[in-house]
Amino acid sequence: MILSSDSQVMLLLCSHLGLSSDPDTAPFTLHDWNPLARKFQTRSLRPGALLDLSEQDLASQLDLSNDEAGRISRLLERRGSLAIELERLESQGIRVLTRADENYPLRYRQRLTDAAPAVLFYAGNRELLGQPGIAVVGSRTVDQVGQDCAAYIGNACAWSGSVLYSGGAKGVDSISMKAALEGRGTAVGILADSLERAIRVPETRAALMRGDLCLATSYSPNAGFSVGAAMGRNKLIYALADYAVVTASDVEKGGTWAGATEALRANWVPVFIVDYSDMPEGNRALLKKGGVALPYPFPIDFAKFPDWLSAQAVQNKSKPTQLGLF
Amino acid sequence: MFAKAEGLLRAMIGDQANFRPGQWEAIETIVSKKQRVLVVQRTGWGKSLVYFLATKLLRDQGSGPTLLISPLLSLMRNQIDMANKIGIQAFMINSANRQEWEVAEAALSENKCDILLISPERLNNERFQKSVLPEMAGRVGLFVVDEAHCISDWGHDFRPDYRRIVRILQMLPKGVPVLGTTATANDRVIDDIQHQLGEGLIILHGALDRETLRLQCIRLAKQSERMAWLVENLPKFHGSGIIYCLTVPDTQRVTEWLKRNGFNAEAYHAGNDTEIDRPALEQAFINNEIQVLVATVALGMGYDKPDISFVIHFQRPGSVIAYYQQVGRAGRAVDRAYGILLSGTEDDEIQDYFIDTAFPSIQSMREILDALGRHETLSFDELLSKVNIARGVLEKALKLLEVDGAVGTAYDGKPLYFRTPNPWQPDTERIERVLALRRAEKSQMQSYLDHNGCLMEYLLRALDDPQPKPCGRCANCRGKGLSRTVSHNLVIQAENFLKGISIPIQPRKRWPFGLFPEQKRVIPPELQNCPGRSLCYYGDAGWGKLVRSGKYSDGHFADELVEASLRLILHQWKPGPSPSWLTAIPSRRHPDLVSDFAKRLASKLGIPFLPVLVRTEEAPEQKTMQNSTMQARNVLRTLSVIGNVPSKPVLLVDDIIDSGWTMTTTGFLLRSHGSGEVYPFTLAQASGRNINP
Ligand SMILES: [Zn+2]
Repeated sequence: MILSSDSQVMLLLCSHLGLSSDPDTAPFTLHDWNPLARKFQTRSLRPGALLDLSEQDLASQLDLSNDEAGRISRLLERRGSLAIELERLESQGIRVLTRADENYPLRYRQRLTDAAPAVLFYAGNRELLGQPGIAVVGSRTVDQVGQDCAAYIGNACAWSGSVLYSGGAKGVDSISMKAALEGRGTAVGILADSLERAIRVPETRAALMRGDLCLATSYSPNAGFSVGAAMGRNKLIYALADYAVVTASDVEKGGTWAGATEALRANWVPVFIVDYSDMPEGNRALLKKGGVALPYPFPIDFAKFPDWLSAQAVQNKSKPTQLGLF
Repeated sequence: MFAKAEGLLRAMIGDQANFRPGQWEAIETIVSKKQRVLVVQRTGWGKSLVYFLATKLLRDQGSGPTLLISPLLSLMRNQIDMANKIGIQAFMINSANRQEWEVAEAALSENKCDILLISPERLNNERFQKSVLPEMAGRVGLFVVDEAHCISDWGHDFRPDYRRIVRILQMLPKGVPVLGTTATANDRVIDDIQHQLGEGLIILHGALDRETLRLQCIRLAKQSERMAWLVENLPKFHGSGIIYCLTVPDTQRVTEWLKRNGFNAEAYHAGNDTEIDRPALEQAFINNEIQVLVATVALGMGYDKPDISFVIHFQRPGSVIAYYQQVGRAGRAVDRAYGILLSGTEDDEIQDYFIDTAFPSIQSMREILDALGRHETLSFDELLSKVNIARGVLEKALKLLEVDGAVGTAYDGKPLYFRTPNPWQPDTERIERVLALRRAEKSQMQSYLDHNGCLMEYLLRALDDPQPKPCGRCANCRGKGLSRTVSHNLVIQAENFLKGISIPIQPRKRWPFGLFPEQKRVIPPELQNCPGRSLCYYGDAGWGKLVRSGKYSDGHFADELVEASLRLILHQWKPGPSPSWLTAIPSRRHPDLVSDFAKRLASKLGIPFLPVLVRTEEAPEQKTMQNSTMQARNVLRTLSVIGNVPSKPVLLVDDIIDSGWTMTTTGFLLRSHGSGEVYPFTLAQASGRNINP
């Protein structure tokens, strides 16, 4: 893995690689990074140019305060540990993509624009990210309906050659992913934590090695679980898919609700809500907010599910946006 | 900046000091241009001075600390003291000084550490990554890669960890200078390093000649002849020196022989001999409290004693580069030094063994990956109990697989290995290339032995020195040298010595991991063997050759071996309480070989031979069982006790002992059936697993 100097700078500024969990100098959040990226664009600079600039040059050329220039300069100083960390990750099978990379998933650029993560870590088949597919979202604890839905969607993906997108967590995520992979289909898991650990599970590893699976995360590969991260990655699941299916949601609380309402507002993809007589309150509320009903028991054989979704989907009205922000 | 650097130089090594050619150039390229430099200079030229001064100048500019990666840190203590003279705080982190890690971490976090010395394997260590790197906030101001020839497959001691260093340097964003140093690299190695580290690498190549060194080659076929030569010629040298041997048993024998002949000699190696305190030996040698250090290559890179006046090789090393590095330890701060290469008939055999065992087999590598692939993570012992691969080979294979990215390590109190999702294909082309190189290097050393031109010029040409010319000092240039013949009497004495030494068999106290999963691993003391003895090393000088021909060509062990065993047992070993009966390990493959020998030995000892052990089924040859668990399991499965076992002490006889599990498990069986103390005795010890330095 030879990285461009643009990607090197983005990793230095926007990732935790080589930093303690509570560093003196915090890396850039997207909120910090986007204004800087715009400054590059207006000045026709590439991020890699930062490697050659002194702290004074940074301040003057990018019109930054001394504090900001100092922070950038300190983050850029950790080139040595960045190289050591990247080598270690690569030797474990983990690679990186940044917004400066041409291989960065196009759907993130188009649909998320400023909210597209600056840095992604991934293992397995990168080319799956953004291939036609169905996202499944639901809770970690599942009832019989949830299990049926998960298995149905996983089988549908395997059968039709669609990618199964999920959060790679327990419950709906793992049941649907297992079904997809067992049918020799393909899957993508967008993790909120512990990518390093996840890829050690024998079945997961085998699927990664076959090229049937890609696990990706915008958080550090060794990050522990956090509610914030679990919420934050929801959009990354929706934004890669063609359709999303919510199996079960609480109302006005929980990650599924937050993610689904966000997706409905943003209109990245048609969001289907599993619809049955004693469904959770959240499902009912999401249907009212614009979710498309997916009746359970399912109206059609799983082999024809993608066609059915396409017929039901309200035309996705999301408009193309300008590209090219690092 | 030059004036400042010169001032620092003088503060470090004296008021009159000036830079040697190349030193300032290297410092300037690092500090001002922040470029990547490879310095090829003979040992003692002052490479450490370059990185210490560069560190000081960079630190004064506000750079982060220097990260120095070196395979041999234990030898750098005196260099650290030197650095202190110009106010450089150096800290070291290696597997042997865990108690000092916190001190180093604290110094890093307060930005008080100027140079951090680590061994290559630290780079992949979780604690290093999680606590040390963040403490320095990743601010590596300068990377120093010591012994940079290890980067290249063409280098004589390619180390897998160095491939990792290369990848790190390839991923290193620009603006961080890198300094590689080596004393031994020919053009091919340098080209390869340049190829791997990028065209921007600047090479500073000095002359390698050591102008005080007098070289000579002497062929003496037998070990006893070379041992006699040592005793005759060592008194002619002034000062202290090193005798290099190829194997651990050789260092032990030569040391013992020299001691008996009144020399102040000590053995130095990395074998699993707990009595060897290497740092203490290094220090005693530096203080000239030891005159002759008899060493394997474990006394390796970076060892810097300036007043070594001779380096003698008891056997021929594998390559010119290795030879020059070893012989080049002599003559740094003395006017005249000797580099004598002795060579005998065993050299080719040993070198071929090193070449043949350089890489674990592809089959072993696949077996390891399969076992790891079935699990999330496995500890080393868990993995060992699931594969039929020797411990040492498994260690080597894991290291290679790790560097290949096929295996990763996590830590949970101990290292846990796991299969990564990276694909793995055996790099047979690379392996073939390296093996072909090793063979070419071997023949280049064979030619050196018989070269009749200038020996120094031969070596320098092989090393692509910029200006090789006849030295005027070597035995060939001067037409005279040390004696090539030895006194017949001394040779006889040496032969008797070789036949008179015996080798202890240490009883094993613990079962291998996973043999009895539900029981404790400690073998109850009352069921353990007593310490035992072997007559010789298999195939070696002394009795070893006779044992080999007895086993594989004659099908009968000679009476001389019975006599020698008798003398050893009665006069040297004298086990007590003395054994009152004798039994032997049975074999279905050669039913009479050992029992016939055992019967003759029993009758000479005047005690009964009782065949109480039987093979219940044909066992696969123990030597095909590659590790402890498999070996012990093999014995327990196929051996049992019949008839009456006397409750008296017993001599347990076999021909060759390898891992010791046959003896351990058989002794355990005998004692469980009521026998008295069990004394293991074998004709020979297999040296295969022992041969490594
Ligand atoms: Zn000469």
